[in-house]
Amino acid sequence: MSDKTADDAAVGTPPGVTVVIVDDHDVIRVGVRESLAEDLEVVGEARDVESAIEVILEAKPQVVILDVHLPGGTGGGALDVLAEILGAADAPRVLALSVSDAAEDVVATVRAGARGYVTKSISGPDLSDAVRRVAGGDAVFSPRLAGFVLDAFGAAGGEVAAIDDDLDKLTAREQEVMRLIARGYTYREVAAKLFISIKTVETHVGKVLRKLQLSNRHELAHWAAQRRIV
Amino acid sequence: MLAIAGVLIANRSGADGLAPWIIPSIVFALGLALVWSPLDRVTLEDARRPKLSGLFERDAWARLALGLAMGIGALWWFATWEFTQDPVLRAIVVPLVVLAALTLVLAPWWLRLIRQVGVERQERVREFERAEIAAHLHDSVLQTLTLIRAKADDPDAVTRLARAQERDLRAYLYQDRRTEEESVATALALAVNAVEDAQGIIVDVVSVGDAPTDERLWAAVKAAGEATSNAARHGIGPVSVYAELTAHTYEIFVRDSGPGFDPNTVPSDRLGIKQSIIGRVARQGGAAFVQSAPGERTEVSISVPREVRS
Repeated sequence: MSDKTADDAAVGTPPGVTVVIVDDHDVIRVGVRESLAEDLEVVGEARDVESAIEVILEAKPQVVILDVHLPGGTGGGALDVLAEILGAADAPRVLALSVSDAAEDVVATVRAGARGYVTKSISGPDLSDAVRRVAGGDAVFSPRLAGFVLDAFGAAGGEVAAIDDDLDKLTAREQEVMRLIARGYTYREVAAKLFISIKTVETHVGKVLRKLQLSNRHELAHWAAQRRIV
Repeated sequence: MLAIAGVLIANRSGADGLAPWIIPSIVFALGLALVWSPLDRVTLEDARRPKLSGLFERDAWARLALGLAMGIGALWWFATWEFTQDPVLRAIVVPLVVLAALTLVLAPWWLRLIRQVGVERQERVREFERAEIAAHLHDSVLQTLTLIRAKADDPDAVTRLARAQERDLRAYLYQDRRTEEESVATALALAVNAVEDAQGIIVDVVSVGDAPTDERLWAAVKAAGEATSNAARHGIGPVSVYAELTAHTYEIFVRDSGPGFDPNTVPSDRLGIKQSIIGRVARQGGAAFVQSAPGERTEVSISVPREVRS
């Protein structure tokens, strides 16, 4: 476990990542702050949409850990915050954090621009890993998110993209990677299993994230429509 | 008013050719408009919830009375009008016309009544739902919180209670409740949850695809439950369970976080893996493999073919 942490963290990680934590529950904010590793510096906290936007624009963190359900704003929670902060050129990268397992929450948040989605049951070292990974520009897929992706892109039905650029389907390789992540493999373990480098795994995951954000597949559109984003 | 004036002028100026029913019809139409007008104002603000207080202000009463008087006056004239010589025909036509006219006058009031009944029923349904949710929360969350308070000095029990309650609440909030028979994903989740409760470890379940649980899928689910139970007993958590249902096969992967073992060194009298996992799916035409080595994670892969529909 520990060697995996060190190994995964070594990939494209700038030292001393600055973080802002946004969650409406004080207990969760304290818990998240204390479970983050030493090299992650918490530069701000917020508890609702308005204060989140203010704190993030002022503190300019590298990563925002953002709860999906937030009070305030127009009622869209994290979606409101994402819409407000992602426009800037030096916009922070966002890691969504939620207790919800509902598909529309996961899909809507990722489509609105979050680069990863983890649930609140995640362990401290794993969360720190996820933050570093997001800071380094990579996507973070939990097993559950990978499962949603496979479900939404019809992977179980055997749909495979003929060309890499097909936004509405996954390539065979992307499916393999998603399947292993859904089975609980870390990126390093996926790389070992498929005889490819960790960098290649990250590239595949990044492409899947892009497809998840840009595809018009009706399953995704449907989930997104439930939260009134397109 | 202008219309009446116009007609009066037309009459005065000697146009006797004008039919005698013109003036009463106009009077009736005006009466109708007067009776309807207060209702218009009431429903303008919110069609679903008429504002009742504004309905019977003095102004509205006056309009209603005047409108009714005009309407009844016009009808009275019609009742006495000898438009034909045949008394039988008159006896039939007059009541019919009067009835239709009165219906027309009272129609909006009647519609409003229906609408109000609808609104009240909606409110009752909402009230019922609220009571239902409150009852559920009381029976589940509040009870668990009380239990947790009582067992505050037993961290294991608290963790287990909290976890079970979280799962229950999550299922209540987010999932359309389906039974084990209708959904193999639910069946698997329930099987894994049972292990979770019994062994006090955390298991993450991810399911892709769903179908009614037939005999083969049941076998796979039970084998997966057994594999999860093994992982909980011998391995360390968290355990992840991934299930994928395609048109041809159902595959389940159960994976722990170590410490692994050498499958060849398992004594042959230990029946857990052989009987409950491999044997169970083999009888359904499927296969199961255990992949592990000391110091590594253990993964059990289970797959069964799906029944071919003819």
